[in-house]
Amino acid sequence: MDTEKSSSNIVRVEGVRKVYHDNGVPVDALRGINLTVSPGDFSVIAGPSGSGKTTLLNIVGTLDKPTEGKVFLDGEDIASKTRRQLADIRLRKIGFVFQAYNLNPVLSALENVEFTMMLRGVEAAERKRKGLALLEELGIGELAHKRPNEMSGGQQQRVAIARAISNDPRLVLADEPTANLDSETAVRLLELMERLNHHDGITFVFSSHDPQVIGRAHRLLILKDGQIATDKIVQ
Amino acid sequence: MLSRIAWRNILRNKRRSFILMTSIVVGVLALLLTEGFAIGLMQQMLTNQVGADAGYIQIHKAGYQADPILELSMKKPTEIEEILSKDSSVLNYSERLEVFGLVSSPYNSYGVSIDGIIPNEEQRITTISRYVVKGSYLSGEPGQILISSAMAEKLKVGIGDKVVIMASQTDGSVGSEACRISGLFETFDSGFDQSHVYVPIVTVSQMLNASGLLSKFVINPKSPSQLASVETRLRNEIQDLPHGGRNYEVLTYKEMLPLLVAMIEMYKQALYLIALIISFALIFGIVDTMLMSVMERTHEFGVSMAIGMSNRSIFLMVMTEAFYLAVIGTIVGLALSYIIISPLSRSGWDLSAFSASLTSLGAGSTIYPVLETSSVIQTVSIIPAATLLGAIYPALKAIRLQPVEAIRAT
Repeated sequence: MDTEKSSSNIVRVEGVRKVYHDNGVPVDALRGINLTVSPGDFSVIAGPSGSGKTTLLNIVGTLDKPTEGKVFLDGEDIASKTRRQLADIRLRKIGFVFQAYNLNPVLSALENVEFTMMLRGVEAAERKRKGLALLEELGIGELAHKRPNEMSGGQQQRVAIARAISNDPRLVLADEPTANLDSETAVRLLELMERLNHHDGITFVFSSHDPQVIGRAHRLLILKDGQIATDKIVQ
Repeated sequence: MLSRIAWRNILRNKRRSFILMTSIVVGVLALLLTEGFAIGLMQQMLTNQVGADAGYIQIHKAGYQADPILELSMKKPTEIEEILSKDSSVLNYSERLEVFGLVSSPYNSYGVSIDGIIPNEEQRITTISRYVVKGSYLSGEPGQILISSAMAEKLKVGIGDKVVIMASQTDGSVGSEACRISGLFETFDSGFDQSHVYVPIVTVSQMLNASGLLSKFVINPKSPSQLASVETRLRNEIQDLPHGGRNYEVLTYKEMLPLLVAMIEMYKQALYLIALIISFALIFGIVDTMLMSVMERTHEFGVSMAIGMSNRSIFLMVMTEAFYLAVIGTIVGLALSYIIISPLSRSGWDLSAFSASLTSLGAGSTIYPVLETSSVIQTVSIIPAATLLGAIYPALKAIRLQPVEAIRAT
């Protein structure tokens, strides 16, 4: 029963605690989080600064390890994985969209998208074909050969989204993706991600306190002092 | 694609890459220039000593090398002359009768090696005739003598003056001959100049009452590379002569000039040490600069790890950057070394300021550096290897970063 439940969820978080040490003083960033993410979800983890949104996203994204509790990705307990296995899980199953876009500055838009496919061993011709198709789909095909410093914030974030979905991940984790964008650009970007969720079935989990993001959530989780205060489906 | 990123990372911070590459170029230059000059110096010491007096091979009566006395001279061995004249790898040979004795003027007397030579044959074997700075080389007429300028000064004599040479004969009596100075020589080696005088062999024979006696055959092979084969062949053929093996010794310059050979060997060892020191200096320079480059990109490495870049790929990327810098730096260093050494190898580098010490080394005051293939091979192996070694620590630093902390870095 437990296995069935695990396999139907992309993410299952059980009793996760995370304690940081700030100058030797223990700080509880997460205090007993239980959470599941199902395929096709468009969830937003909201909450004030310091509530533990990014920490939770980092733990779900295997970038950080919980002090206590378990995290299952596609039914697999990530606690026992090596650094190499975790890197492989992130490469194949998770796409990341960061607040500051975090594109590689020495690569063009297309090369940034191709990069993750290259790490996965996709052939050069296929990488190029798919990379161009993704950029076209996200409306920035003409910027394929531009470097990040030649693009606006919104354009860079679109490239970041293209990079995040280039390896057909099970889950895209977006940490404050609109925080650095003006509201008009943010709306267009959210519409884009909604479209990817709706048409392509890509699962998104956001961390944000932007009302525009929260307003589009299908499921809203509000964190407060490291605990889930609210978990509700939004119609 | 990793190599493309590595290359662009190099271009990204041009100033740092330039500094890093410059240290590699300087490493290559330091290694090749040191080797070039040291090898040039060693070759000059060797060719000067071999060329001016010793020759590449000598044949003596057995025991003469250890105890060069008149009693160990050879009765002109025609069978050896036959062997030498038939050997197609022998370029030239000459006969000498040498004895330790005195050269005297009305003012002074000095102990010297009195070298009886056949002047025109000697000219084909050694370079002593080229060092005549005043007067003329021996014409072959009996009673002439060639002494060094330094000796002439000490004896207070000049061209055309008479000096007396004297030495013990085999029966213990002292023979002497009056000789007129035909020329003065100055070689690269002040010690040699003050201990040798040259006279026609007939004059020495007369003085010693030792007609038909020879101290040595001095032999040059057609090429120095044939030295070992010519020596082995001569030794075997002489051993096959009746009583030949016991009567004669065949020696190369390596056995005749053991001090010089040991000194050259010591120089070679010192060169390895210098290469090691240069490599260490380079490694520390590379570690420092590459570490700075890695630390500046902490955030980027964190993001790369987050999107699934493996430790192996990150390590490879940093090492590829170092590899590119090593290759470019080595090529530029090689080109600069060639540009510097090539003209100097023809014109030489006049080190007259240090001529006293260089002359005592027997190298001359102008050094002609040599860019040898073996030095180039050694450099293109050592410098890139040192660069890659220096990049290992920064690369390990990069892969030990924790993704979450690295992403937070600014």
